[in-house]
Amino acid sequence: MHNAPDIAEVLARTQTGEYCTTKEWDTRRVPGAIRRMLEKHQLAKTCNPSQPCNTDFELADRFYRAGFDLALELGYHCIDTQRTVKVTREELLNALKYARSEVFVGEGIDGTLIKHRTPGDPYPTASVCSLGITNSEKMFPLITEGIARERAVDILEAGSLTTIFGHEVLAGTPWETLMGYEHARMHREIRRKAGRPGMGAIGCISATTEYGQFGAYGTPGGFLPTDLALILFPSELKIDYRTLHKVIHTLNCGGMLKCDSPGMIGGMAGPPEGAVISSIACALLSYAILQNTVGGGEIYDVYYLANVNREGLWALSMTGQALSRNTHTCCHLIANQVSGPVTASLLYEIAAGVGVIASCGASMSTGPRSAGGKLNDHITPLECRFVGEVCHAASGVMPEKMNEICKELLPRYETRLKNPDIGKPFHEAYNLDRLEPTHEWEDIYRKVKGEVIALGIPLDEF
Amino acid sequence: MEQDELAQELIAAVSEGDDSGAARLAEQAISAGIQPMVLVRSAIQPAMDLIGKRFECGDAFLPELILAGDAARAALDQIMPRIGEKDLAAARSGTVLIATMYGDNHDIGKNIVAAILPTYGFKVVDLGINASPPAIVEAAGRAGADIIACSTLITTSLPYQRQVIDILKETGRRDRHYVIVGGGPVTPEWAGSIGADGYGRDANDAAALCQRLMAGPKPPLAEPLLLGALKRG
Repeated sequence: MHNAPDIAEVLARTQTGEYCTTKEWDTRRVPGAIRRMLEKHQLAKTCNPSQPCNTDFELADRFYRAGFDLALELGYHCIDTQRTVKVTREELLNALKYARSEVFVGEGIDGTLIKHRTPGDPYPTASVCSLGITNSEKMFPLITEGIARERAVDILEAGSLTTIFGHEVLAGTPWETLMGYEHARMHREIRRKAGRPGMGAIGCISATTEYGQFGAYGTPGGFLPTDLALILFPSELKIDYRTLHKVIHTLNCGGMLKCDSPGMIGGMAGPPEGAVISSIACALLSYAILQNTVGGGEIYDVYYLANVNREGLWALSMTGQALSRNTHTCCHLIANQVSGPVTASLLYEIAAGVGVIASCGASMSTGPRSAGGKLNDHITPLECRFVGEVCHAASGVMPEKMNEICKELLPRYETRLKNPDIGKPFHEAYNLDRLEPTHEWEDIYRKVKGEVIALGIPLDEF
Repeated sequence: MEQDELAQELIAAVSEGDDSGAARLAEQAISAGIQPMVLVRSAIQPAMDLIGKRFECGDAFLPELILAGDAARAALDQIMPRIGEKDLAAARSGTVLIATMYGDNHDIGKNIVAAILPTYGFKVVDLGINASPPAIVEAAGRAGADIIACSTLITTSLPYQRQVIDILKETGRRDRHYVIVGGGPVTPEWAGSIGADGYGRDANDAAALCQRLMAGPKPPLAEPLLLGALKRG
C-alpha cells in the first residue's frame, strides 16, 4: 500500500493547507527554515571551492537529513491558492519506500533501463539529450535526427521549436496544444527515421504549459505512457495548478513522470549549502506529493547562469551523493554549460559537469545546455554524443578521482564562464547533407576527448 | 540621537531588511532636522550599495535583497513627500514596472532583477508572473513607469513581449515608456526585431541598462541598447 497522499488529497491540501503569501514564502519561510537547517546540521560554510567534487560521504548524509527535515517543515507552496501542501513524516517515508528504483523508458531493444545508482556505481547513468535549446522549424528535424542517431544518447528530449507551420506559438493558447502534438508527432517520426523507433523520450519541451502536455502526451502518435512526461515547477519548492494539471494528465494516461526544479545558488535558498538542502527537499517531496517516477535534485547558480563553476559542481556532487546514498530513487541531475558548439570549452564543461553527475550516483542526466541554451540552433549532435559518452564512462569513477579530474579541467574553462564563447550554430558546425560534424568540430572533439581520457575518465578510444 | 547616528541606524535597518524600523528611523531623522535629500544620499543609497555589494560577493542572497528593497521603500515613503519639486528627479532614478509574461510562471529571474533595481535607486512596481500584455501596459500607465521590463523563461511567452510594444504603439503611448526585455530565450536579435529599447543578459545588465536609458534620449530608441550580449570567439 502506497500510503502517501493520493492526487485528490493533494488537490484538497492546495485548498486547505496553511495560508502563506508567495512573498512571505520567498523572503521569510524558505530562507528562515534553510538557515535553521544549516545551523542544526552544522552545514554552513562546508562548501570548499578548491574541492569541487565532494568526497566526504558522511557530510552528504548530513545534507540528506537536513533536506529531509526541510521537506517536512516546509512542504510545497501552491502559487495559485497561496497555501502550503505539507506531508507527514509517515507519508514522506512511505512515498520514498515505494518509489521506483528501476524505470524502463521506451520500448523493446531501443528502450533504456534507468536504475538507482550510488557513487562510483559502474551501472551507467542514462543520458538524455538535449535540453530545450530553441530550434528553427527547418533545423529541428535535422538536429533531432542527428542526436537520435548518436548511440551514446539513451533517451531523446530534443530542442524547442520556435514556430509551428511558420507561426509563432503563444503560451496558454490553443497554439500550444497544436505545438505539443506536432512536436510529439515529429519526435516519434524522427526516432523511427534514425532507426531507433522504441528509443525512450521525454516531452514536451516545445510547449511547457499544461496545454502542450495535453497535446503531446498520450495522444495517438504522440508520446507514449512508456515515455517520461516533463513536469517543470515554477521554481524550487513551489508548485501551481499547471504542474498539477500535467501530473494528473500523465497519471490518467498511465504514464511516468519526471518532475524536478533546481535549487538556486544565490536565490531563495542562499548559499551553495542552502541550495543543496532545498534541492534535496524539493526532490523528496516530488515523490510524496506528485507521485514522481524519476528525477529530483537539480542545481543552478544564478551568479554564473550555469552550474559547472566550482560551487555549482560541489553542489551537484553533494546533492547526487545525498539522494543516491540515502534513497533508492532514480535521481536526475543536469549540467548547465555556457560555451557553444565548436569550442573546446563546451566539451571541458561537459566533462566536468556530467562527470561529477555520473560519478556521484545520478541515475539520469539531461544535457547539454550548449551556449547556455540561449541561442537558436546552437546545439549539435556531437556534443550530445560526448554527454552520453561521459555519462557512461564516468559512472564507475569514484568521487575522489572525479574531484582530481575536475581540478585539472576547471582551469581550462572557468575564466570564460561569465564571458563565454557562443561558438557556432548547427548549420556552421555540421555538414547538413551527411549530418556529420565539420572537420574543425571533429578535431576539437578528438583533442578534448584524448585529454579527458588522459585525465582518467575511461571513454572508449576512437 | 545624533544625526550621524540616525543615518547609521537607518543604513543598518535598510540593509537588514527591517521595513518598520527603516520607516521609523526615517521619520525620526527628518524630525531631527536632516534634510530629506541628505538622508537619501547619506543613508538610503549607501544602504542599498551595501546590500548590492554583499549580493555580488555572495554574502547576501535574493531574500535579503528583496527585504532590503522593501525597507528602502518604507523609508522613502516617509522621505519623498518632504522632498521639494526641484530635488525630486535627482532623488529617484526612475520607476520600473516589471513582470513575467503571460503563460510563464517562472519568477526567479524577474525577482532577482526586481530586487537589484532598488540598489540602483529605482522604484520597482512588480506585477508578478503570468502577466498579460494589456495588464502590463495599463499598470505601467497607472504607475507612471519610465521603463517596462518584460521577462520570460519560455519560448512560447516571447511573442507577448512584442505585444506589449504593439499595444503601446497602437494606443499612442510608445513614447511614454522604455521597454526592455530579458530572460532565458531572449536574445539581442529578438530585442531588435520587436523594437525593444534594451536587452540585458543578467540582472546587473538590466540595472545598468535602466540607468543608461534614463540618462539618454526619450523612448522609443531607433536601436536597442544591448548589454551582456554573448559573442563568438
